Order: sequence, then C-alpha cells, then structure tokens
Amino acid sequence: MPPSPCALCHTNRALILRPKDHSKLCKACFITVFETEIHHTITTNALFTRGERIAIGASGGKDSTVLASVLKTLNERYDYGLDLVLLSIDEGIKGYRDDSLETVKRNAEQYGMDLTILGYDELYGWTMDQVVEQVGKKGNCTYCGVFRRQALDRGAARLGVKHVVTGHNADDVAETVLMNLLRGDLPRLSRTTSIITSTPSASSDPASNTNIKRSKPLKYAYEKEIVLYAHHKSLDYFSTECIYSPEAFRGSARALIKNLERVRPSAILDVVRSGEDMAKLVPGSDEGCGGTCSSNIPVAEEEEGGCGSANGRTVGGDMANMEKQLAQNDTAADQNLEVEITSKKINGAGMPLATGKKGKKGFTPRKSTKQVMGQCKICGYLSSQDVCKACVLLGGLNKARPKNKIEIGYEVQDLQQRDQGADGVANALQRTSIGGD
Amino acid sequence: MPGKHSDSATSELCEKCKENISILVVRAKPICHDCFARYVHTKAIKRLESFRVNFAASPDQQRKILLPLSHGVSSTTLLHILDLHLNTQRSKTNRTGFAISVLVVDEGSLDPARLDKVRERYANHDYASLPLHDVFRLLPDDASLRAFLPESQVQEVCSTQEQLTSLIASLTSATARADVLTTLRTRLIVEHAKQTGCESILWGDSTTRLAEKTLAETAKGRGFSLPWQISDGKSPFDINFHYPLRDVLKKELFSYVDLAEPALSALVYEPQSGATQASMSSKNTTIDDLMKQYFESVEENFPSIVSNVVRTTGKLEVPTGATSNPRCSLCGMPVPDGRFGIHGWGGDQHGGADDAAAVSGGSLCYGCTRSIPQRGTAVASK
Repeated sequence: MPPSPCALCHTNRALILRPKDHSKLCKACFITVFETEIHHTITTNALFTRGERIAIGASGGKDSTVLASVLKTLNERYDYGLDLVLLSIDEGIKGYRDDSLETVKRNAEQYGMDLTILGYDELYGWTMDQVVEQVGKKGNCTYCGVFRRQALDRGAARLGVKHVVTGHNADDVAETVLMNLLRGDLPRLSRTTSIITSTPSASSDPASNTNIKRSKPLKYAYEKEIVLYAHHKSLDYFSTECIYSPEAFRGSARALIKNLERVRPSAILDVVRSGEDMAKLVPGSDEGCGGTCSSNIPVAEEEEGGCGSANGRTVGGDMANMEKQLAQNDTAADQNLEVEITSKKINGAGMPLATGKKGKKGFTPRKSTKQVMGQCKICGYLSSQDVCKACVLLGGLNKARPKNKIEIGYEVQDLQQRDQGADGVANALQRTSIGGD
Repeated sequence: MPGKHSDSATSELCEKCKENISILVVRAKPICHDCFARYVHTKAIKRLESFRVNFAASPDQQRKILLPLSHGVSSTTLLHILDLHLNTQRSKTNRTGFAISVLVVDEGSLDPARLDKVRERYANHDYASLPLHDVFRLLPDDASLRAFLPESQVQEVCSTQEQLTSLIASLTSATARADVLTTLRTRLIVEHAKQTGCESILWGDSTTRLAEKTLAETAKGRGFSLPWQISDGKSPFDINFHYPLRDVLKKELFSYVDLAEPALSALVYEPQSGATQASMSSKNTTIDDLMKQYFESVEENFPSIVSNVVRTTGKLEVPTGATSNPRCSLCGMPVPDGRFGIHGWGGDQHGGADDAAAVSGGSLCYGCTRSIPQRGTAVASK
C-alpha cells in the first residue's frame, strides 16, 4: 500500500492518524489544526479579553506545558494582547515535585514568561512530605487535593491576577461526567462541564482571594492529541507520577472512557456534549446555555487535575465505600416495604399479593439543598461552611504536632496582604534566580 | 449470571421470613424461594399502581397496554409477572385493571415456534409479530425517514425490506448500525401501540439495563434525551412509557427465570451473551456492548451503584415547554432550542464552511447525526 498523502494539504506524506476523527495528516497540518481548534475554542467562548493578565497553572506535566506553548503561540499569532505568567504550586514532595518544577523553570525561560512558585509550606506550614509522615499514605491525596484547590486561587490573588487557566482536556471532562453519573452527583455536573467557572465574591475587595476566573482552553482537545502535539513540537515536559499515590490506578470511569474512544473516536466529545446538555436538566440549576453564558458558576468544589493526571481520581475503595452506604440506604427503604409485606401477610394469608390494600408508597428521598457560598472565618477563602475544608484539615494536622515552628500568616488586613504578596513574589524570584545558577 | 446460590452445606434461614431455608443471596441477604418471588413481584407491581382495577369504569372500557417481547429474560419475566397479576385480579374481583397486548419485533432471526410457546402458556392476551422494516410503512411521515436512505435508493420504488437493508448497509460502524436499529425498533413499537389503541407501553428494562442505557446514550451525545428515556410517565410520542422492572437487577431476573415454577427457561432466548464476549475486537464492539459488559461487572460487586445511576438520572427534569421543541427526524426526541446536527456548540471546532451544510443538513439530533453518514451535497441539492 503506498503511503497516503495528507488529507488537508495533499502534498506531504501523512504521518499522523488523528485520534479525534482518524483523519490522516502530516506533521505541519496536525500542528496547525490543533492550534486552530484551541483558538476557535478561545474565541467562541470569549475566554480572554485584551490586556488581561493570565496565570497558567503549570505543573510541568504535558497538559500545562502544551497549554503554555499553545497560548504563547496564539497570543502572538492572533494578537490577543494577553500578559501570560506561569504559576506553580510546590507540594513539597522530594524526588517528584522538585524535578517537575525544574521542568517548569526551563519552560519559563523557553517561553519568556514570569514564573511564580508557591509552596504548601509557605501557604499552610506543611509540606506533603510532612503530611504523609503524619497521616500515612492512605488519605494523603485528600489533603493535597484540598490544599491545591485553594493554593491556585491564593497564588493568583497574590499576583493580582484575576484569571487562571488550567490544562483540563476533553478526556478529563468526559471522565468527570461519567464519574458524576456513577456517583449520583448531579449538582457537580454543571460545574464540571462549564468551560469558565469563577469563585463568587462576597466582598468587592480587589485583593481578596475571590473573583478569580478559571477556564479550560483545552476542554475540547483530546489527551492523545496533546501528547502528539508535545511530541512533534519537541516540548519539554515531565511525566513521572506522584510517588505518594502508587496505589492509584485507572479508575472505572477512566478505563471506560478509553474503551469508548476505541469503539468510536468521537465518544469523548459526545460525552462532553451530553454532560453540557444534562447540566441544564438538573433540577434547580441556573438556566445557562451549555455553560457558555454562565460564567459565575462557583468553582469551589471543582475537581482539579491532581497529581498523576494519567491515573484515575478514584481510589479502589471508593466504589466499595459508596456501595456500602447505598446498600444501607436501600435497607432503610426496604424496612418500609418489609412492614408492608408483613401487614399484608396477616390480612391475606397465603395470597402472594393483596390487591387494593397498598399501604405506604415507599421511601421518598428528600431533594438535595443548594449550596450557599460564604467565607471561611479563619482565612477568608470561599466556603459553604463556617470554616473551609483546608483550615479544618490544617487544624487536625496542627493538633497532632508537638510544637509549631512555623506560624501561618493569615491575610486579615489589606496592608498585610500586600506585604505578603510582595514577599511571595520576591521569594519566588529568588528561587528562580537560584535555579538559574 | 444468576445470583449467588448459598451453599447447601451451610444453609441459613431466610432473613425475611425466618422460616424457610435460604436458597439465594439477594443484595447481601439470604432469602428463600417464596420470599424471592414475592420480592420480585412486589418490585414490579408497585410500579403499576396506576393500573389497578378501576371499579368505576364499565367492563368494556378496558385499558390496553403494550408489552414489547424480545424473548429475553427481562421481557419474558415481565410478561410472566403481569399474567400472574391479572389472574389474581380476575380471581378476586372478576375483572382486570388492564389488558395486555404483546408485540414481537422480527429482525430476521425470529423463530415462530418461540412465540407459539409463549402464546400457549399465557393464553389470555393478544399477540402480534411485525417485521422491523414495517416501520417505514407505519410511520405517517415516512418521508422524513426515507430521507436517510442512500442516494441510489431514493429514486427507485422498492420494498420496505429493501429500504431497511440499504439503510443499515450504508452505515459505517457497528455502533451506528446498532443505534439506528434500536431507534427504528422503538419507533415501530410506538406506532403499533398507537394504532392498536394502547395507552401505555410497558418496557421490560431492568435496573441494569436502564443504567446501561444512561451511559450509552451519554456516550452517544444524547444526554438531552435521558429524562425521556429513563423515567416513567410521558414520552415524546403522546403515549406513556413505564419500566415496571426498574427496581430489579438483571442478575435477579436471571435467578427468577430459573426459580419460577415451571421454569421460564424454555421461553427465554438470549443469543447475545456468547456473542458479546466473543467479539472483543473494536471493529465489532458497539457502545451498547461496552456499557453492558461494564455494568454486568459493576452489578456483581456494587449493585447499589447501578441503582444509584438510575435513580440519579431519574432526577433529571424535562424543561418546561420541551414538548414544543422541534423533533429529531430519526429518534423523535425534542431537541432543545432546535440545535440539530453536530455543529454550533463549544466542542465543534470547524468554522463557517460547515455552517451552510449544518443548516441544510436536516433535522437530526446530535446523537443521530453521529450515526447517520453526512450527505451534504445531496441534501443541499433538495
């Protein structure tokens, strides 16, 4: 069989079978098509405004590296007029995060972007190494996930940035849609399918931790294409998984997504589309048009692409735990049925079913109440409870600590906030220059 | 496939009645033969309270419902339970709350002897058998279905059988063929129910089947239609849909088939179980097959999660005024805001060139557009 020409330019030899639609493209056309599609996503969803300062959540992995590269290219090519900076969170995991941050530093040099690195120890007083010593390997991902969600917003607030972009791709979104169906989590469907989410603000203070937009320019890009793009542009990225979650394996939803993609390439986008459509069918949801117009959907409980994004976010025991809980709910519901059956047995002895003697209609679950967003009493971050989850976890950690060597400076006043911000930037710059040596 | 039978060496008492020896473990509880039968019956009949005997109506005003029978475990079990239920009603009140009309759809491999056996055992109901290609004859606006036939077939006058064959042959993947066949089967059943005066259709879908359908339709891009496809009550076709077995797992139905007296095994024909496992290559596997395998494995260890998926999807609400939305020409579902085709949403990455094709592309929903091949040139010429 002779090699087939590229489906677009019909000149060069086709080297790439495109994962999204199995079209055959040459290297240059694939890169162009990939970038143009991201551009189309950005423009049709109006993600950016001219002059906006954007923080790219950079982990050194393939998604954020490709995101930074594509945004730089598109910013120059189409003159978005954006000020792009890199924002990294250092969880404090030796042998893993310090190596991936070296990758981010190299990326910062290659792309000519400012880089800010914030550590968990700086924000919370604990590194993940210390957390694991305290709580063990099981459950430490909960701490890391909770801390990370807050850290990006607090880092952006320190930099005075109001927009953070993350590298969530179509596979991540589709996986989350399926997971929410399997878990029965309807309210989260709307949040996870929106391309823009934001942290609603109770105060109009521009320096607060709120009012920060989040968007996902790679929302409709396939993971395989991101890898292909990184490969063909020879991008420098880090691919080791988190050393503290070696037991994390491909969850049910992840494996299912990959099988669906094999059967029908468009299935990933089809799931994303279904997720957007279903979000409008959730009772009590705001009438948004596919999440495009609703730019104020709260981001608080959105799942981050955490450490080891190639692995599922479902640990093996999750389904078993949920099964146990649901089985108990079913047992409680069955009690009503059991009472009904017993009473029927007395009335109509021997009859398998009594007619016209229906007692209780059965167990009717109460409708889930809507979350009301407020502020944490301790740190001022967005929270639906009095105290946010990070502070609750932090309190638990601190109780078990023999003595507090490092005090966490909470940003209560504006002046203190600005000073903290300045110090953070200075420390980050020092770290960058040290790395440069 | 049947539920776990308890070991006879270590028999324990039934957890419900505390009297008989348990023969089965259902949802982690040992249960005896009689209580299991009562369990399944109660789950099904509880869903049919609206079909109780209507003493106010005169005997000739009998309500009629349609039961599509595929000779599978679920629909056969449903027929058995309803037959038992009607016999009980008849013996107690000398009348029944409804009359059953059974429809078997012939897709080319139907053995007439199978239907004869069913008819012989449940003699008090109407029976009909229709070939699938009759959907082209029954649908009043068959012009819209005919539009999807390949180019060469549009010009000629050919039989409904040939139309069906050429339509299926023009589809490019196993998933598309399975999807269109399922859609046409549903349309045929609905049209037959309307023309025979039935007010409702009782589908034999179990919890597991509904969960499979939820994720399969999600993966095909039909998330918008899930409230129509999963919930009891109104359907987009001016007829009610009910799923009486929605609270019973598929593995429980398999146990029921074996334990019923006399056994229903002689009436059941499940050809797919062997074929499904044999064809693991991605060439022949469909999205429905994938979801079936997935939920059969989830059902073994986590049955409550299967129930939870169905319960969750049942909470999705049809938006107000949805029935006035334009309909998909193939599956008949109301499309929100008339957003037909696969273009015009955030995930569509193509520019204005395709917009012209999208406008003239007709009226297929997102999911059906993924199955039916694009005929931009031909459609634009009309």
